[in-house]
Amino acid sequence: MNVDVVVAGAGTAGLVAAVRAAQGGAKVLVLAKGAGATHLSPVTLDVLGYAPERVESPLAALPGFIAEHPDHPYAKTGADAIAEAVSWFRDTLGEDYRYVGDLERNLMLPSAAGAVRPSALVPATMAGGDLHDGAPICVVGLRPMKDFHAALLADNLARQGHDARAVMLDLDVERVDVNALGIARMFDRPEARSLVAAQLAVRLKPGERVCFPAVLGLRDAMGVWRDLEHSLARPVFEVPTLPPSVPGLRVDALLVAALRRAGGRIIVGSEVVGAEPAGDGVTVRAGAAAREVVHRAEWLVLATGGFAEGAITLGSDWRARETLLDLPLAHMPEAGEPRFVPEYFDDQPMARVGVAVDSGLRPIGPDGARVHERVLVAGASIGGAVPWKEHSGEGISVTTGHHAAGRLLGAATSAKAAV
Amino acid sequence: MTVHEDNVLLDLVRGSLDHCVKCTICETHCPYSNVTSLFPGPKYVGPQAERFRTGEPVSPDASVDYCSSCGICTRVCPQGVHIAEINTRAKARLAESEGIPLRNQLLGRPDVLGALGTPVAPLANWSLRSKPVRALAQKLLDVHKDAALPHFSGRTFRRWAKRHVSPPGATKEVVLFHGCGTNYYEPELGEKVVEILEHNGFRVTIPKQGCCGLPLQSNGIFPAARSYVRRLAKRLAPHARRGVPIVGPPTSCTLMLKREAREILGLEDNPDVRVVSEHTYDITEFLLDLHDRGELRTDFKPVEETVAYHAPCQQQGHNIGKPALDLFALIPGLRTVEMQASCCGIAGTYGLKVEKRQISLDVGADLFSQVRAADPSLVACDAETCRWHIEQETGVTNVHPMDILHRAYGL
Amino acid sequence: MTTLQTEVLVVGGGATGAGIAWDAALRGYDVILVDRADLAEGTSGRFHGLLHSGGRYVVKDPVAAKECIDENVILRRVASAAIEDTGGLFVTTPDDDPAYGDDFLAGCAKAGVPVEEIDVAQALRAEPRLNPGIRRAFTVPDASIDVWQLVWALANGASARGARILPYHRAVALHRDGDAVVGADLRDERTGEEVRVEAGFTINAGGAWAHEIAEMAGIEGVSVVPGKGIMIAMNHRLVNTVVNRCTMPADGDILVPIRTVSVIGTTDIRSAHADDLPVTQEEVDQMLEDGDRLVPGLRSSRALRVWAGVRPLFDDKKGGGSTRDVSRGTALLDHRDRDGVEGFITITGGKLTTYRLMAEEAVDAMVQQLGHDRPCTTKDAPLPGSEDGAYMLAGARLRTRDSHLRTEQLICECELIERSTLEAGMRSRGSRNLDDIRRNLRLGMGPCQGGFCIYRATGILHELDRLDGAEASESLRRFLEERWKGVWPILHGDQLRQARLDDWIFQGILDVEHLPGAPA
Repeated sequence: MNVDVVVAGAGTAGLVAAVRAAQGGAKVLVLAKGAGATHLSPVTLDVLGYAPERVESPLAALPGFIAEHPDHPYAKTGADAIAEAVSWFRDTLGEDYRYVGDLERNLMLPSAAGAVRPSALVPATMAGGDLHDGAPICVVGLRPMKDFHAALLADNLARQGHDARAVMLDLDVERVDVNALGIARMFDRPEARSLVAAQLAVRLKPGERVCFPAVLGLRDAMGVWRDLEHSLARPVFEVPTLPPSVPGLRVDALLVAALRRAGGRIIVGSEVVGAEPAGDGVTVRAGAAAREVVHRAEWLVLATGGFAEGAITLGSDWRARETLLDLPLAHMPEAGEPRFVPEYFDDQPMARVGVAVDSGLRPIGPDGARVHERVLVAGASIGGAVPWKEHSGEGISVTTGHHAAGRLLGAATSAKAAV
Repeated sequence: MTVHEDNVLLDLVRGSLDHCVKCTICETHCPYSNVTSLFPGPKYVGPQAERFRTGEPVSPDASVDYCSSCGICTRVCPQGVHIAEINTRAKARLAESEGIPLRNQLLGRPDVLGALGTPVAPLANWSLRSKPVRALAQKLLDVHKDAALPHFSGRTFRRWAKRHVSPPGATKEVVLFHGCGTNYYEPELGEKVVEILEHNGFRVTIPKQGCCGLPLQSNGIFPAARSYVRRLAKRLAPHARRGVPIVGPPTSCTLMLKREAREILGLEDNPDVRVVSEHTYDITEFLLDLHDRGELRTDFKPVEETVAYHAPCQQQGHNIGKPALDLFALIPGLRTVEMQASCCGIAGTYGLKVEKRQISLDVGADLFSQVRAADPSLVACDAETCRWHIEQETGVTNVHPMDILHRAYGL
Repeated sequence: MTTLQTEVLVVGGGATGAGIAWDAALRGYDVILVDRADLAEGTSGRFHGLLHSGGRYVVKDPVAAKECIDENVILRRVASAAIEDTGGLFVTTPDDDPAYGDDFLAGCAKAGVPVEEIDVAQALRAEPRLNPGIRRAFTVPDASIDVWQLVWALANGASARGARILPYHRAVALHRDGDAVVGADLRDERTGEEVRVEAGFTINAGGAWAHEIAEMAGIEGVSVVPGKGIMIAMNHRLVNTVVNRCTMPADGDILVPIRTVSVIGTTDIRSAHADDLPVTQEEVDQMLEDGDRLVPGLRSSRALRVWAGVRPLFDDKKGGGSTRDVSRGTALLDHRDRDGVEGFITITGGKLTTYRLMAEEAVDAMVQQLGHDRPCTTKDAPLPGSEDGAYMLAGARLRTRDSHLRTEQLICECELIERSTLEAGMRSRGSRNLDDIRRNLRLGMGPCQGGFCIYRATGILHELDRLDGAEASESLRRFLEERWKGVWPILHGDQLRQARLDDWIFQGILDVEHLPGAPA
C-alpha cells in the first residue's frame, strides 16, 4: 500500500498516534504482529504515580521529576505535551467511555490486592473508588471468578485505615472456570445484571459504595455501570485485575473504531520486519503468509513496545537489540556490567533501557545525531522510564503517541506551506 | 513413530511455545473457547499443554479435538507463538493414538465426495436435503442433520476448463488454482474468475490439480494430507518455477499452500511445496496488487446492492488485510458493510459434526446478527463452506467477492 | 515444652534421611524424622533429577557404576511412581574423543550396565534436537526421578507404620548422657516452640550439614566439603530421553527431561558453606554453552530458572582444590568405633540414586550396634503409590485435567494445578506460606513464574483463613523476592519478556510494593 503513515504496533501508543494522524488527514496503516498490550492494561491513565514517593499532584510533581530525569520520555516531550495528549485522549473516547480526573490531583484507587494505586484519569466506571472519599466500601467477590479476591482487597484496605468489607456472591454461570471476559459478557445481559443486583442489594449497608472487579460489561460499559448504580442506588466502581483486562478491551475497541472512522486501516498479524529510507519517505516491509509485503509511506512510527513485547530483546550474549531497525539504545549497562541485581525490588540496571530519542521523538545515536529522518518512536520502545514502578505507562504511551502524530502532521503542514 | 516431517520446523512450531508469556490475548480472541468449556482455549491447548506432551503413545488430552484450527490465535498472538499450528499437530497425534472415525475420513476428502456425487447429482442433492436421509446420516456418521451441506453442480469445473482456451492477445499468464469447492459445487465461480483474469489481459492456465489436503489436515489425518498436497504441489510446481503466479478464489486452500502445508504438515523441505507456496496468491490479493500497480481494469458498471462482507478466518490468516473491500470500493453504487465478527463457526468441516454443531451456531451468532442488522441484499465471503453456512443460517444469498466484480465488469 | 520418645531419631529429611525412616520403620522401629525446613529442601531437592544407570561412572569409578545400576533396577521396582522411564543416551559430540566410546562399552559390560550402541541416524530420529554432528550414540537405562514424590512416598510409607515426620523442626542441641547420644532438642521454626526428643539411637543424615549435627554431639573432625553445582531448567522438554556426553565426567554434560522441563547440569565448585551458594553469571553462561553442544540452540532457548545444589563430599583430611576428585562414595561414620560415642552414626556423601543403599547401610550399622537381628527389606517393598509398578507419566497432569475441564477450576495454569488440589495441599500440610506449596505442587514454577497464579493462590490462602492480610502481603512479596533469585542470572530472551509482563502485573496492576507491610 501507499500511505502517509505506517504505524508499527497496535498498543495504546500506536493506536493513539494512528488515530490522531488519521484525524489530521493522513492516510494511516497500522501493522501489528499481534493484538496490542492495551488488552492487558488496566487503562487507568497513569501519568505519574511514584517519584519514588507517592505523587499527589502530577502537575506539581512533573517539573521536578523532569528536571531529575532529563532522559525520561516526559523530558523529551515536555510537560505541556502531556496535558494536551491527555485532553485529546479524553475527548476522543468521549461519552463512549468517559474518563474523569485531571493532572492536578491523582485519584487514589484500590488495586486488586488492596494497595492504594495513584492514577491521574480513570474511566468513570472506576472513579467511584477514589479513596480520598471516605465513604465505606463493600467489595464484592464473584464466585467463580478466580482473578479477584475481595476479602484480601478489603482486608488490606482496612489495614490502611479505610472502611472496607467484603461479601461473596455466587454467579449463575454454567462454567466453573470462567475468566473476566466471560463474566463481563454476562454483565452485558440485563437479566443477568438484575439478578446480581437483587442478590447484592439486600446485603449492602446504607452509605456504602460498591466495588466490583472490572467486569461490568464489554460492549456498553457506561450503560452497564449506570444501570447498576441505579439498581443498587449507590455509587459503583470497578477495580482492574489480572489480564484479560476488560477495560483494556473496551479502550482498544474504541480506538480501533475511531481509527476506522477517520479512514485509517489496521492489519493485526502482519509484523513490520524492516524499513529503509526511500526518497522522501520509507519503504516498509511487513510479514504476510509466504512472503513479505512492501508498503510505501512518508513516515514510520515505531510503537512496537519494549522488552515485554519482544520488540527490544536481550540475547543470551547479554546484548540488547531493538529488533526492527536496530536503533541505538539508551541506558544499556556496559558490556561485562551486571544487567540485573539479586534484590527484586531494587533498581534493576536494565530497567530503563530503550530507544534513544530527541525531543522530536526521532531516534538518535550516542552522539545525539538523528539516525532516521522519517522514523518516530512512541510508547514503551522509548528508553529512560520505569513505567511499572513510576506508574506512568499509559501516560507515556498516550503522550508520546499523540506527540509523534503531532510532529508528523506538523511536518506535513509545513511541507505544504513551503510548497 | 516419528516421521521426518513431524520434526521439521520443530524449533519454529513446538519451540515457539517458549515465547508464550500467558498473556491471555489468544483466549480472549478465540471464538470457540468463548462459547464452550469443552475447548479449554488456545493458550491451554497450545503452548501450555504442549509442555506436557512428551510423545507418549496415548495422547493425553482429547479436548484438542475441539480446536477448530481457525488460526485466529496465531494471528493475534503478540509474541509469535504458533498456537494454531501446535494445536493442529496435537490433533494429528490424537488421531494417531485414537484412530480416525469414518466420518472424518469422508469429510476430509471433498474430492472423493465430489467425484462420487457429481454423476448422480440430482439424487445426491435430493438426499442431502431429505430429512430422513439426513437423520440417518446423523445416526450412522455423526454428521448433524441440520448442517449446511453443499449442492452438487452435476458438472465439474475441470470439464469446462479442459475445453476452455483463453482468447489470443494475452501478454501475461496466470495459473488458476480452483479448489474442490469450485470444481464440484460452484463451477460458475471458476468460470467467472477466469473471465475476470482474461478481461485484465491474462492467459489463464488451468493445469491438472487436486485437493490441497486442508480438510484432512484439520481432521488430524496428516499422512493422507501430506500426500494430497505433495501431489498438488508437484502439478503446480513447474508453473511456479517459470515464475507464473498461482491464483485462486478458495481462500482457505490458498492459505494452505502458502503456509499451512509448510508449517503444520512440515513439508518445508519439499522443493515443490516451497516454490508453489512462494507463488500463490488469493484472488482478491492478486487483483488489488494489480490495481496498486495501475494494471487493473476499472471499467466497472454500477452495482446497486448492499453487500455485507465477512472476511473468513483463513482469509485473515493471509495477513494482507481485506483486499476485497478495496476492490468493492472501486465499484460505483455498491454499498459495503464490513462485518466485524471473527468467525462464522463452520471452520471447514467442524460445524458439520453432530457434537460441534451447537458450538458452531454459538460462534456464528454474532456474525449472523450483524448480517441481519445490516439488512444486505448479498453477503460476500471468500470461503465456500462459510458461504453455505452463513446463507443457511441468515437466509441471505452468499457469494464470493469475485461474483460481484464479474457482475460489475459486465462480463 | 513437649517431650517425645522414640527408638530412632533421624536428623535430616532428604532422600537419605527419609529412606532411613522408611527402612527402619519397615524393620519395626519407632522413628521420628526431623528436618530444619521442608523435606528434601537440602541437596535432594536441588539436584537435576537423574536416576543414574551408572553409565556416567563406568570408566572413572566402576564401583560407583555398579552400585548405580543395581539401585536403578531396585528403584524402578519399588519407587516406580516417582520415576519417568525416559531411557538415556550417551552421545559422542564433535568435541569428544570417539575412542572413549569403546572404553565406555567395555566399562558398561564390566559394571553390568545394559548398553547398546545405536546408529546415529536412529538417535537423531528419536531425539531430533540433538547435535546433528554426533558421531556415536549408546542407549542405557537412565531415567528421571521426581524427588518430592520419592521423599514424600518414603515419609508417608514410614508414617503409615507409625513414624512421626516433623519438617520445620530444627535440631538445636543433641543430648549426651556420658558416652551416648540420647536425644535432641528441636525448635519448631514456624511457632518457636521447643520440642525434646528422647531417642534410643540417633542417625545424622544431615548431608551437607552433617558436620553441624555431629558437632552438636561433641564430635570433631567430621568434615563435609560442599561441592556446589548449578543447574538450569529449560522451559520445555528439548529432549525426552536423558542425554549424556560420552566422555569423562565434565561440567554441563547431562540434560535431563523431567516433568515439563529439561534440566542442564552441572558444575562442581568448592563452596565455603552449604548455605552460601551464589550463582554467578559466568557459571550460567558456561553451562548454557556446554548445553549447546548437546542440543544446538539450547543457549538461546528459554531458561526458566537456575539454582545451586550442594553435594556433600565427605573429606576426612582437608579441603582445597577441585572437589571432583574427592570420593563420591558414601561416608558412614559409626561414632562408637570412631569417637567412642554410642547411639550415634553419621551418614553423608553419596548420590540420590543410591539413597536406598545408603539408608540400608546406615540402618544396618545401627542394628548391629544395638545387637538386633532385623534385616533390610526395602529392596522389595514397594513405596506407597508404586504398588502396581507403573512409571510416572509426564503427561499425567494433563490427562487428569482434561477429565476435569468442566468441574474444576485451574489455578496454576502452567503446571496445571487445580483449585481442589491446591486447597487440599494447603490444608494437609498446614501451609502458611506460598513457598511450601510452590515446592510441593510446583505452583508458580512454570514459565510464567507465578505471574498469574500467585495472586490467585494468595487470595485462596487468605480465604481459607490460613493467612491474614498482613501475612498474605508478606508472603506475596517474599515469593517474588525468592523467585527472582533463581531467575535473574538467566533473564534473557523470552524469560525477560515474561519477567517484564510479571513486573507489570505485580507492580503495575497489583502494586504489591505498596501493600501495607506486616507489623514489625
